[in-house]
Amino acid sequence: MRAGERFPDLDLPDHTGRPRRLSDLAGGDPLVLLFSRGWWCPKEQRHLRALTALQDEMEVAYSRMVVVSVDAPEVQSAFRAGLGARFTFLSDAERAWLPRLDLLEESDTTHEPYRPTSFTLFPDLTVHRRYDGFWYWGRPSAEDLRRDLREISAQVRDDFER
Amino acid sequence: MGGLPHGAAWMSFDGRELSAGANGGGLSFMVDSRCLEGPAVADAEAWVFAPDDGRDAVPYDQPEVQGARRDALAWWYGMLGDALVCHTTLALDESLCAGAITVVRGQVPVRPSDDPFSRLYAPRCVPCDLFGVVDPPPGPVLERYAGAPWPGGSFGHG
Repeated sequence: MRAGERFPDLDLPDHTGRPRRLSDLAGGDPLVLLFSRGWWCPKEQRHLRALTALQDEMEVAYSRMVVVSVDAPEVQSAFRAGLGARFTFLSDAERAWLPRLDLLEESDTTHEPYRPTSFTLFPDLTVHRRYDGFWYWGRPSAEDLRRDLREISAQVRDDFER
Repeated sequence: MGGLPHGAAWMSFDGRELSAGANGGGLSFMVDSRCLEGPAVADAEAWVFAPDDGRDAVPYDQPEVQGARRDALAWWYGMLGDALVCHTTLALDESLCAGAITVVRGQVPVRPSDDPFSRLYAPRCVPCDLFGVVDPPPGPVLERYAGAPWPGGSFGHG
């Protein structure tokens, strides 16, 4: 998936096991979508701690964030609680979407996780920007996401610039 | 009553019963309209956290209302699990919050006094068959959409 392409409308259980659809989670707002290896990875722990800090801005900025991993919902729920996150995790423990999205991390044959990849999406799930995060510095920083969400909001909010 | 924000519907609570519409007696308030749109769940129970008098409502922007919403997103919906039917805050107007309603069914693993909104108003438990199932909000958005009762409403882009 590259900029300008429409992201598939993922249907997966959330961290409570409740069926969810990505378009519903976007809810008409800009969306940060992160594919994460899982709770065990120190890089994921560090990155998600940094992005959890950003939720205090996103909660007042009409912007959403969703994390997808192969962890089971109950594991995600515990990880999410430990982070203090108030956004949604989606569980692809069955690897239902992983091969279709071509995001398998082939170097980890133990967990068969997602390759860390992040997207900023327009409300209609069109990709604004993609970040390949196999190397940590390839992941979006809070500043990257502020810029992306500002750019998306400027395009979709008619009254962004008065 | 004035015009409704998109995503809002009127309800009333007389201290014992909930009724759809603004003329049911007692306190009238706006709820997330999605809660009244789907097939109603029979044998549900509404936990109503509301004052008797609208003058005891508090602004949505007050820290205690913001805090209750944060806690709902962080852990409350997860604790309710499948028992949750729907949840809505109660809006008197564009700025005032008159509490919340949590609708549950079946075996509920928590108590009404555990609800973050019980910090605003004491719970009153009302049997009802008015509400349909609405998924909890994904978070982290706390702000309301054009005055609609959180978590309802939308800017409609998509």
